[in-house]
Amino acid sequence: MDFSLTKEQQFFKTQAARALRRIVLPHADAIDRDDVFPLEIFKELGRLGYYGIRYPAEIGGMGADCITFTILAEELARVSMGLAATVTMQCLMGTNFLYCFGNKEQKERCLIPAIKGEKIATIAFTEPDCGSDLGGIKTRAQKDGDYYILTGRKLWITNGDVADFITVAATTDPEKRLQGLGFFLVEKGTPGFSVGQKIEKISARGSAAVELIFDNCRIPSDNLMGEEGKGAQYLNDILIEIRTMIAGLGLGLAKAAFTAGVKYTREREAFGRTIGGFQLIQEKIAEMETRIRAAEFLTYYAAWLKDTGVFTGKEAAMAKLYSTETACFVADEVTRIHGAYGLAEEYPAQRFFRDGRFLLFGGGTSEILKTLIAKDTIKKPDFWD
Amino acid sequence: MNIVVLAKQVPDPEALVEISAGGKKLEIEQKFATNLFDEFAIEEALRIREKHAGKVKVITLGGGKATEVIRTGIAMGADEALLLEDEAFLDGDGYATALALSRAAAKEPFDIILCGRQAIDHDRGEVGQMVAQFLGLPHVGNVVKLDIADGKAVAESAIEGGKEIVEVQLPAVFTAQKGLNEPRVPQIMGVMKAMKVQIPKATLGDLGLSPEEAGLKGSKVRIEKYLSPKKRPPMQLITGEPMQAAAEAIRILIDVERVI
Repeated sequence: MDFSLTKEQQFFKTQAARALRRIVLPHADAIDRDDVFPLEIFKELGRLGYYGIRYPAEIGGMGADCITFTILAEELARVSMGLAATVTMQCLMGTNFLYCFGNKEQKERCLIPAIKGEKIATIAFTEPDCGSDLGGIKTRAQKDGDYYILTGRKLWITNGDVADFITVAATTDPEKRLQGLGFFLVEKGTPGFSVGQKIEKISARGSAAVELIFDNCRIPSDNLMGEEGKGAQYLNDILIEIRTMIAGLGLGLAKAAFTAGVKYTREREAFGRTIGGFQLIQEKIAEMETRIRAAEFLTYYAAWLKDTGVFTGKEAAMAKLYSTETACFVADEVTRIHGAYGLAEEYPAQRFFRDGRFLLFGGGTSEILKTLIAKDTIKKPDFWD
Repeated sequence: MNIVVLAKQVPDPEALVEISAGGKKLEIEQKFATNLFDEFAIEEALRIREKHAGKVKVITLGGGKATEVIRTGIAMGADEALLLEDEAFLDGDGYATALALSRAAAKEPFDIILCGRQAIDHDRGEVGQMVAQFLGLPHVGNVVKLDIADGKAVAESAIEGGKEIVEVQLPAVFTAQKGLNEPRVPQIMGVMKAMKVQIPKATLGDLGLSPEEAGLKGSKVRIEKYLSPKKRPPMQLITGEPMQAAAEAIRILIDVERVI
């Protein structure tokens, strides 16, 4: 068994880490403090080609595998969760359905500029009364000749206030629940579309979470991405990638917090010695590092399975569950190691603590994921095979 | 304009380094990075090529992780690369390294050789000058500005309290100092290209060198022992009124530390 990255993957990791530490890290605290979308950094990463990482070279992409994309997610989270939320949205959820189902004009108008970092993309699932229960989506898409009319409200939409185009999940038939779900492309400036309230939040600051309002928003029928009622199936196709990517974010955050925590144990003195010399601090270090390593194996195992074409729904769910919970655990322990300084804004420990919470919901809550894992296990006659 | 860049992979500045084997060896954490000064050299080479056309070739000596410095050069935009890989090159000093690098550089005609003013591991700052010596070429060190025109170079160097401007005929060797440029961040397409590139290699024999001229055998300097720097005493806080505290600080500097 060889658990190591290939030389090529290791090189990508080094290059991505160096680029992000140079371009993003010096601004990470300001992005968090000011909670403003970092437009110049966003454009710079687009100029460097990061948003096309999953897409083929013909449209300006890199054609990277899931392992490489997971490496990028990990390195992003090590520097700034706010920016990580934006970049992963741009690379995956915000552009995927347009790439898969958009026509030539739509791709030229939206997708290619998004890959270059000239347009901002997002996706809109969540509603005020509906999160993981996608079958309960109330936003309605009604056919009207050559148009669809969208009506409803979305909430918690990443970068919805600055997005140039949005892939909106809406139902053409609420009675059918998941079988009525479809994805619709809505561009900024479309009559009937507006941005509502911004939710002030403590995590992933620098990427806003906003309300989007669709009030008889009329869009051409070509803006239906794929076929009516197949939205859940399309979403399922990328859910593995989404969960593995979020596992990568958790891993990156855990590593960043752990690094800061260990550094502090080497510097901080109490009772005449550095605190790393105390056994209860050592217990925390050992526990954190062991969990991080386990999260790393699960995360890259899920990515590797995806790349080998094996069905990995369960492994991706496990990776997302364990890695994000580990991120929260490690961030919590690191604030404890810092003592009262864990609350101080001058140390990043409090930022890691807050940002860890961001990872618990998107891509399925821990509770939903546990349900999925257990259901899959129970239905198998011999679950160790 | 053919430009050769001599670059080195060095331990990451954050890597843990420990002395072992009774001071004979260094145990270095497996974290590496491109030598900072060599990145200035690569960037300058690319800028010269963008202005005057031609090609940029990155050469390094070493095995394993050394390829990353070459891949970094390719990712930034270098056209060609050469890895000097042979067990006989191991443990060489600056002299042996410079001899091998000069032979590798001279395999094809070139106009400019660029390298960092020093590698940030041993900090000796000698390879660039020695390469120039082996090739019988002019050398300009600590370059912070470089203009190329009409087969000549006008180079600005940082010197104590000022700058020195010199003109040299090409071909010549230049060592890059901080301030020469801001190295670019590689584009993802460049990274992808670098990930896949097959790196040509050269051995001792390819350079026309004998085993006695390379590595430890070919070295003029041998490291006898590594010593750790003296441990600093803990910080001492001087309390009291400013005038009294200043007087006490001066007394310590004169009587205890003996630095005044």
